[in-house]
Amino acid sequence: MINRFSFLVLLALPLAAQLPPAVQACATLRHHGDARADACYEKLTHSTDREVQAEGYWGIRNYKIANDLFRDAVKAKPKDPALRVRWGYLFFEHWQAGEAGKLFEEALELDEKNASALVGLAQLAADGYSARAIEFAKHALEIDPKAYQAEEVLARVALEDNNEAKAAEEAKKAVELSPEALDAMAILATIDWLNDKKTSPWLDKILKVNPRYGEAYDIAGHFFIINRRYEEGILKYRLALELDPHLEKARAAMGLNLMRLGREDEARAELERAWNAGYQPTESQNTLKLMDKYKDYDTFRTPTTVLKLGKKESALLRPYFQAELDRALATFERKYKYKLPGPVQVEVYPNHPDFEVRTMGMPGLGALGVTFDSVVAMDSPNSRKPGTFHWASTMWHELSHVYVLNMTKSRVPRWFTEGLAVYEETAASPDWGDRLDPDAIEAIKTKKLLPISDIDRGFMHPSYPAQVVVSYFQAGKICNFIDQKWGHDKLLAMIHDYAELKSTPDVIELEFKMKPEEFDRQFFAWLDAQTKRTVEGFDDWKKSIKGVAENAKAKKWDEVIREGLRIRDLYPDYVDAASVYEFLADAYEAKGDKAKEMAELARYSRIGGRNPTTLKQLATLQSEAGQKREAAATLERLNLIYPKDEDLHKRLGALYLDLNNSTLAVREFAAVVAGPPLDPAGAHYELARALKQANRTEEAKDEVLSALEAAPSFKPAQRLLLELNVKQ
Amino acid sequence: MLVLVWGLRAETFYFTVAGLGGEPEYEQRFSGWAKDLDKLLHEVEPHAKIKTLYGADATRANVEGYLREVAKEAKPEDSVVLMLIGHGTYDEFDYKFNLPGPDLSAAQLAALLDKLPTAHQLIVNMTSASGGSILALEKPKRVLITATKAGTEKNATVFPRYWIEGMRDPAADSDKNEIVTALEVFRYAEEKTSKFYETQKRLSTEHALIEDAGKGEGVKIPSAENGEGLTAGRFAVLHLGAAAVQSRDPAKLALLKQKEELEAAIDDLKYRKASMAVQEYRGQLQALLLELAKTQEALDK
Repeated sequence: MINRFSFLVLLALPLAAQLPPAVQACATLRHHGDARADACYEKLTHSTDREVQAEGYWGIRNYKIANDLFRDAVKAKPKDPALRVRWGYLFFEHWQAGEAGKLFEEALELDEKNASALVGLAQLAADGYSARAIEFAKHALEIDPKAYQAEEVLARVALEDNNEAKAAEEAKKAVELSPEALDAMAILATIDWLNDKKTSPWLDKILKVNPRYGEAYDIAGHFFIINRRYEEGILKYRLALELDPHLEKARAAMGLNLMRLGREDEARAELERAWNAGYQPTESQNTLKLMDKYKDYDTFRTPTTVLKLGKKESALLRPYFQAELDRALATFERKYKYKLPGPVQVEVYPNHPDFEVRTMGMPGLGALGVTFDSVVAMDSPNSRKPGTFHWASTMWHELSHVYVLNMTKSRVPRWFTEGLAVYEETAASPDWGDRLDPDAIEAIKTKKLLPISDIDRGFMHPSYPAQVVVSYFQAGKICNFIDQKWGHDKLLAMIHDYAELKSTPDVIELEFKMKPEEFDRQFFAWLDAQTKRTVEGFDDWKKSIKGVAENAKAKKWDEVIREGLRIRDLYPDYVDAASVYEFLADAYEAKGDKAKEMAELARYSRIGGRNPTTLKQLATLQSEAGQKREAAATLERLNLIYPKDEDLHKRLGALYLDLNNSTLAVREFAAVVAGPPLDPAGAHYELARALKQANRTEEAKDEVLSALEAAPSFKPAQRLLLELNVKQ
Repeated sequence: MLVLVWGLRAETFYFTVAGLGGEPEYEQRFSGWAKDLDKLLHEVEPHAKIKTLYGADATRANVEGYLREVAKEAKPEDSVVLMLIGHGTYDEFDYKFNLPGPDLSAAQLAALLDKLPTAHQLIVNMTSASGGSILALEKPKRVLITATKAGTEKNATVFPRYWIEGMRDPAADSDKNEIVTALEVFRYAEEKTSKFYETQKRLSTEHALIEDAGKGEGVKIPSAENGEGLTAGRFAVLHLGAAAVQSRDPAKLALLKQKEELEAAIDDLKYRKASMAVQEYRGQLQALLLELAKTQEALDK
C-alpha cells in the first residue's frame, strides 16, 4: 500500500526540541516552502556532527548516505531515542514502513514517553488502515498535549471513517496547537472539497504558510480516491504537481489511479517519470511490471462493454463472461432506471498477485474484485481453488458499484455501495453471494454489529479481524431489510440522496422518517428474528458437526443420519467444506437410498453449495433419475463457479444435445475445444455434432475435419464427415 | 501408423501389484486401485493373462513366483505389463517397493524382468519415490513409466488414479484407432496429474516420467527430439474395438492396404501444412479424409 501521508515527514515540523538548531532552521524554511531550504540542507552535509550531516543528506534526498550516517550516529549514541525516531522517519519517507516501525519501537524501549515515536507509530498504523492509529495518537497526546501531529492523525482517521464532524474537530484542535499545522488545514480544506465547495478558506491559509504546499492537494487526492471519486482525485494530484512539480509521490499516485481508470498510456508515462525521478516504492515497480503483462491479454469490445481476458483463457471464458456482463447491465439499467454514460470495462486477471497489484492501495479484505468508476478488475475463476469463488456473483457485485458510483458521481458512503452490491448478488440468484458465516453469527451474538451512522468504521478501520467481512454482511442485510420493508425504490431514492451529498443520518430521517437509532432498533429486531435459531443453536451445531464428521469417517451411517438431520436446520446456511448436507448424502449413498441422497445434495445446491465434486454428483443422480433439465441446471451453476473443467462442459454439452438445446450444446462443446482439451479429436467431433444439430453445417464440417486431422481413423467422426458431405 | 502395434496376435500378461499401505486409508486406496485395474482388464481384455496381487497376498515371494511362471510360459513375441501401486522408498542407493514382509528392491525386480523371454515389457511404477527405480529398471525397448521424477519425491502419489482413468476413458485414445498405447495412457495420466495439483493450488510433489530408449533418464514430454516415446507409442496396452479382428481377415487386406496408404498420405499432407495456403490444405485434407472414411466404411461392412 502506498503510504499516502509519509511525505509529510520532512515538511511537518518535528516535535519541539527534537532537532538540533541548525537542522530546525532548514526544516522551518522547507515548511514555509522557502527555496533556500535546499541550500540550507546542502550546507548541513558538511557538518562534522553525524546527526546533522544525516539530516542534511536527507534534506537533499540522498537517502543512502543519510541512512549510513544515521546508522553511525546511532552507534555512537545508542541511548538516544530521538535519533532513532528521526532515523525511523527517514525509512518511513523511503517506503520502508517495517524498518521505520522497528526504530520507533526501539525508541519507545529507551523512552516509553517518547511522543514522537508514538506519533510515528500512529502514522504507520494509519497508513495500514489499522484502528491502532487512534490508540497511538491518543497516547502521544497524553504525553505531549501539544503534539499537533497526533491530532492530525486523529483527523485523518475520522475522515477516512467518513466522520467529517469529528475530522474537522480534530483538525481544528491541531490548528489551535499550531497555526502552521499544514496537514490539519489540508484535511479541513479536503472536507470542503469533498462537499463540492469550489474553494476553501483553508487553502488560502495553507498557501500563506507555504505557497508551494502541493501536499495539500495530495492529501485531498487521497481522500477523493478512497471515496472512489477517482477523476476528482486525479485532478487534485494534478493541482498538487502544479504547485510542486517535484512532488513525485503525487505523480505516482496519479499514475496508479490513471491506470485504474484504464488510461494506460498516461499512467505509464507518469509512473515512469516518478520512477526516474527517484520515487521507487515496490508498488510502482509492481504496477509497471503489471502493465508490461497487458500484452498477454485479449480485449473484446461491444458498444457497451470492454472485456479484457488473459490470452490463454479468453476463448474459454469469453462466452460466459460476456453473457453475464450483458445480462447484468440490462438488469441494472432496468432496476436503477439509469443508462451508463459509456462502456464498462471488466478486466479478469488469471494470476491473483496481478489482481492484487491492480487493487493496490485499497483498504479492506483480500478482495475478489474491485471497481474504479466504470472499470472493474477481478480475479479469474482459474486463479482460485475450484469451489471457493463464484465469479458471476463477484462480477454482478462490482457492476452494481459501477451503477451506484456513476449515479452518485461517487458521492456514496462505502457501507451503502457495498451493502447494495451484496444485496444485488443474492437478488440476481438466491444461491449467489455469501451465506451467513460463523463470524457474522458471532458478531450478532456478541452484539458487535455497528449502528448505521457508524458502520463505515467497520470497513475502514476494523477493530477486530473479521470486522470488514461482518460489515459487508451487515450492510447487505440492511439493504435486504429496506427492500423487504419499503421496496426497492427506497434504495433507489437513497442513491439519489447520497448523490446530493446527504449524510447517512439525514438519509435515514428523510427516507424512513425516523432517527438512525430507531432504524437500528427495527433492523436489529428484523435480523434477530431471521437469525435467532442459528445464533442460539450455533454452539450445539458446532459441537455436533464434529461428531457427524467422525461418524462419517467411521462409516456409522445411521448415526450420521440421525444427528445430521437433527442439526441440519440449526444452521442451514453452512455449505462450506464438510457440510452436513454432504455427510448426509454420503450416508444415504452408502445405504443405497439415491432419492434421499439427491434430496440432500439438491438442498445443498439450492442454498449455495459450490463444491464442484458434490454438484457433479448431484447432476449424475439427477441424470440417472431422468431429470435432465435439473441436471443441466446444476451443472450450469458450476459454469459460474469454476468453468475450467473439461468434464463439466462435456457432460453439460451432452445433456443439452439430449434436451435438443443445440445452441447451448455448441457453447459447451466449444468450451471443451477452448480448454484446451485432453482429447482434441473427441472435442472437435462433439462440437461438430452439436453444430450439425444446430444446422450450422459448414461450421460442423470444419470441426469434423479438425477432429479427423488429429485422429484420421476416428470412426464416429468419419461417419459424420460422410453424412455431412452426403447432405451437401 | 498403429496397425503395426505389438500385441495384435501375441499374448499380453498383465500383472498388477498393490503394496503395503501402512495405514488403513492407504491400504484401502491401494487395494481399491488394484481391484479397479483387475476388473477393467477382465472386461476389456478378457482373453489376456491377468494376475493381480494386493493386501496380504502381495508378498515378494508371490511377486517373484508369478514372474518366474511368466518367464516359463511367455513367448518372445508376447508382452508383459507390470503395474506397481503403493509406497516406495529410496535411500540414495536403492529403491524398494514396500510389500508385506520383505520389500522388493529395484535391482531384484530388474533381475526377474531380465529373465522374461518377452522383448515387449511395460513397467509402470506408480509408487512414491518410483523415480529412484529408473536406473535399475531401464533397458532399451523396455517401456518404463514412473510416477515421480526422483527417489526424493516421497509423498503418496495420485498418478495411479489417472493411469487407471486413462485406461478406462476412451479420450485417452487420442488418435481414435481403438488401440490404447502406453504413450497415450502416460500422456493422459501425466496431464491429469499435473492439472490435479494446478487446480488444487498445491505444489506438485510428483512428476511422472517415461523412459523407453534405455538412456537412463526419463522425460516428462516424450518427443522425436529427445528420442523417447517411440516404443511406448507402439506398445498396445488395451484394444478397444475391431482393429485386431480386421487385421486378421485376409479378405480385407486390400482395403487395409488402401487405408494405410491414405493414412500415410494424410501424414504427409500434415507435414507440409506449414508451407501451404489454408484453403488448399483444407481442400486436400477433406478429400483424403473422405476417401479414408469411405474405405473404413467398406472395411466395417
